[in-house]
Amino acid sequence: MTGPDLVRRMAEGDRNAFARFYDRHARQVYPLILRITRDPADAADVLQEVFWEAWQGAASYDPGRGTPEAWIFMRARTRAIDKVRSVRRRSETFVAPADERVTAAAADPGGDAAERAEDRGLVLGALGQLPEAQREVIELAYYGGLTQTEIAERLKQPLGTVKTRIRLGLERLREVLKRSP
Amino acid sequence: MTHEPFDTLAAVHAVGALDGEDLVRFEAHLREGCATCEAALREANEALAELHRQATPVIPPAHVRDALMRRVQSSSRPRPWRWIPWAVGVAAAAVLAAAFTGGMVAARYQARMGALARDMAQAREQLRREQALLREEVKIARSIADLLRDPATRVVALNGLADAPNANGRVVWHEKAGGRLYVAGLPPAPAGKTYELWTIAGPAPRPAGTFDVDAAGRGSLTVAPVTDGPVKVFAVTLEPAGGTPAPTGPVVLASAK
Repeated sequence: MTGPDLVRRMAEGDRNAFARFYDRHARQVYPLILRITRDPADAADVLQEVFWEAWQGAASYDPGRGTPEAWIFMRARTRAIDKVRSVRRRSETFVAPADERVTAAAADPGGDAAERAEDRGLVLGALGQLPEAQREVIELAYYGGLTQTEIAERLKQPLGTVKTRIRLGLERLREVLKRSP
Repeated sequence: MTHEPFDTLAAVHAVGALDGEDLVRFEAHLREGCATCEAALREANEALAELHRQATPVIPPAHVRDALMRRVQSSSRPRPWRWIPWAVGVAAAAVLAAAFTGGMVAARYQARMGALARDMAQAREQLRREQALLREEVKIARSIADLLRDPATRVVALNGLADAPNANGRVVWHEKAGGRLYVAGLPPAPAGKTYELWTIAGPAPRPAGTFDVDAAGRGSLTVAPVTDGPVKVFAVTLEPAGGTPAPTGPVVLASAK
């Protein structure tokens, strides 16, 4: 069954369709949330909320605006950032990840440098093939939840430079993804 | 005005990083209905989705799935159209024609419900965006009002030079807090170019941010305070898109020394 069909069935109240939708996407959505929240317990909460909202809001999915994957990833990213911000408000100590390429599951990956580099390659995926300056701004925005102004302040770069880097980075990302299967 | 600045704003919006005046401007542009930007946002979202599709999967804790399935089983989300096909089925035993008509009605009703839910979600989304926009606009207006109340704030006039004789500008400026530039009468920057503001306090001009103007030639820019002493001159030049660390293009606006 195609993705849009599955979501349409969910909108009609088909619980089995929802189970299939979860099984199809949860293992890809979870690492995204984990990467943003960096806390497995928070990530599990967000994951549950994201899929619960997908079930309740399935009728609002419009295939004309994108694939179900893009739909669910976008909701997951937004909810995860919301979570991090609410935690930050409570603790006032949160600092968005600047340079550390943290994945939650691998706090201490162990192994030698080459192995760690390989792990990082897996984590970064296509982003790892971007020039450092472009990768950095996209990560700060997309995973760190920083706005363009906050990124400019943090990197001590002109706002225009930050914006241009984001645009070039996304263009490059599309090229890289087109080449990989 | 060329479309180019919006291509950049669309990319920044796609990674959720647009803020301030840019957010206000881009949302207004989207509301006018720009197929190019909608396509750009869609493509960027799909690229980011593809990025995660290719990433190494991580199996989430089983309790999440269990909890979700329990919630879904016991959810009483009203789905009023579910009983209609069933009712129609009963009627069909007696009157086939009636059932056919009923089925049509049910199908149309169901489609209509789906469309309504979509409309509602879009309306909610729009409301959320407009609230965010208003917050940004209020924030900007408040910060300028605060600045104007401060006796240390001065308003510096900028005059158009040979390349833009009809242009003029004002910088509301506070040495410690920074300020904001407003310009009018500037022609839209040509493709691949942008306007850049410079502050001259020390020996060399310092970049103070890039900006573009709308179709009416108006633009504005928030300016951060500088560290190399009181600003003696503000100047605006035309530079390659993205800006440069030192001025290379013609000066279009400058304050008196």
